[in-house]
Amino acid sequence: MSSDFYISSILPHAGIIIKICRAYTNSQEDFEDYYQEVCLQIWKSRNNFKEQSSWTTWIYRLALNVCLTLLKKDKKLKSRFNADYIPSEVADDTKEFEDEALNELYKAIRQLSEIDRAVILLYLEKNNYTEIANIIGTNPNNIGVRIKRIKERLKKLLDGKIN
Amino acid sequence: MEKSIESIWNKGFLKSDALVAPKLNDLYNQKSIDIVEKFKRMYRLNVNGLVVFTAVFLPVTYFVQIPYMGIMLSVVFLSTAYAGSKFQKKLNAIDKTSDTYQYLQSFDKWTKEIVRWNEKRSRYMFSYVFISMAVGFWFGGIGGDIPGQDLMTELLRRYPDLAQVFGVPLVALLGAILIVILLSVFGPRIGKLDLNIVYGPILQRLERLLIEMEQLRA
Repeated sequence: MSSDFYISSILPHAGIIIKICRAYTNSQEDFEDYYQEVCLQIWKSRNNFKEQSSWTTWIYRLALNVCLTLLKKDKKLKSRFNADYIPSEVADDTKEFEDEALNELYKAIRQLSEIDRAVILLYLEKNNYTEIANIIGTNPNNIGVRIKRIKERLKKLLDGKIN
Repeated sequence: MEKSIESIWNKGFLKSDALVAPKLNDLYNQKSIDIVEKFKRMYRLNVNGLVVFTAVFLPVTYFVQIPYMGIMLSVVFLSTAYAGSKFQKKLNAIDKTSDTYQYLQSFDKWTKEIVRWNEKRSRYMFSYVFISMAVGFWFGGIGGDIPGQDLMTELLRRYPDLAQVFGVPLVALLGAILIVILLSVFGPRIGKLDLNIVYGPILQRLERLLIEMEQLRA
C-alpha cells in the first residue's frame, strides 16, 4: 500500500475505522491488528469502489465487514484452544480513552450483539436511518425501533448513568 | 448529572488522544509466522510419522509373510524420512532475524527446492514402489507360500505353450515394463498431486501473501 494512498484516502477516515475497531476489540494489540487489517482490505478492495455510495459509506461497510469477520475467526480460534474462553469484547480490562464516560460507553457497547454494535455506532456517527440500513443491508423501517431498543439496553448496562 | 449516550460520544471524541491512528507496521509478521509455523509443524509430523509408520509396517509385512515387499518399501519410507530431515535442517536454518519479506522469500525458495526434489524423485519412486509390490507378491514370504510359483504352475497347466523370460510369463513382464514406464513418465505429476494434497493450501497462502507483500512494496 503506498503511503500516498494511506494519507489521502484512508487517514482522513481513520476516525471511523478507529471507532469501529474499538467496538469489536478489547485490547490495544487486537485493536491495532483490526485497524491494520481494515486499512489493508480498503487498499486491496479499492478497485471495487464503484461510486454508488460515498467513499465514507463504503469505508463504514468495509470496516464493519472486516471486523465481523475477524471477530468470528478470533472466537473460533480462541474457543478451540480454551474451553473457558470469554469473548475479548466482554472481558474488558483496558481503558483506551482518556474520557472515563466514553470508556464506560464502549464497555457497554461491546456487550451488545455484533449487529447492534454496528447500528449504534452508525447512529452515533450521525448517519440517518436510510444510510444505516444501506450500510448494514437491512430495511430502514426497522432501524428506528432497533436504535430505541439498543439505547434502552445501553442505559441498563450503564446502570442509569445516562438518560 | 445524567448524560445521553450521544453527548458522551461527542464529548469523548473531542479529546485529542481519542482518535490517534496506530502506525501501520508489522502488518504481515503475524500472518507469516502463522504460515511458516503451521508448515513446520505439518512437515515435522510427516517426517516423524514416516519413521513411526516404517517401524510398524516392517514387522507387519514379516508376519503376513511379504517381507521382501516390506523391506523394499521401507527403504522408500526411510530414505524419504532421511531426505525430509535434511530439508528440515535447512528450513530451521532460515534466518529468522531477517525482515518478514526476506524470511518469506527464503521460505518460498526452500519450498520450491523441495517441490523440485519431489518431482525428480517421483520419476523413479512410483516405479520402484510398483516393482517392490510386484516382486513382493511374486516371491512371497520366507518359508511360506510363493505366490509367483503357484501362479506359474497354474498358468502352465492351462497354457502349456506360455512364453517365459527367467520363469516369468512374457506378457506379464511386458505389462509390468509398460506400467513402470508409465509411472516414470507420469511420476512427477503424481508426486506434484500428492504434495498438493498435503501442503497445497498452505503453499497457496504463502504465494498469495508474497504477492500482496510485493504489491505493498511496489
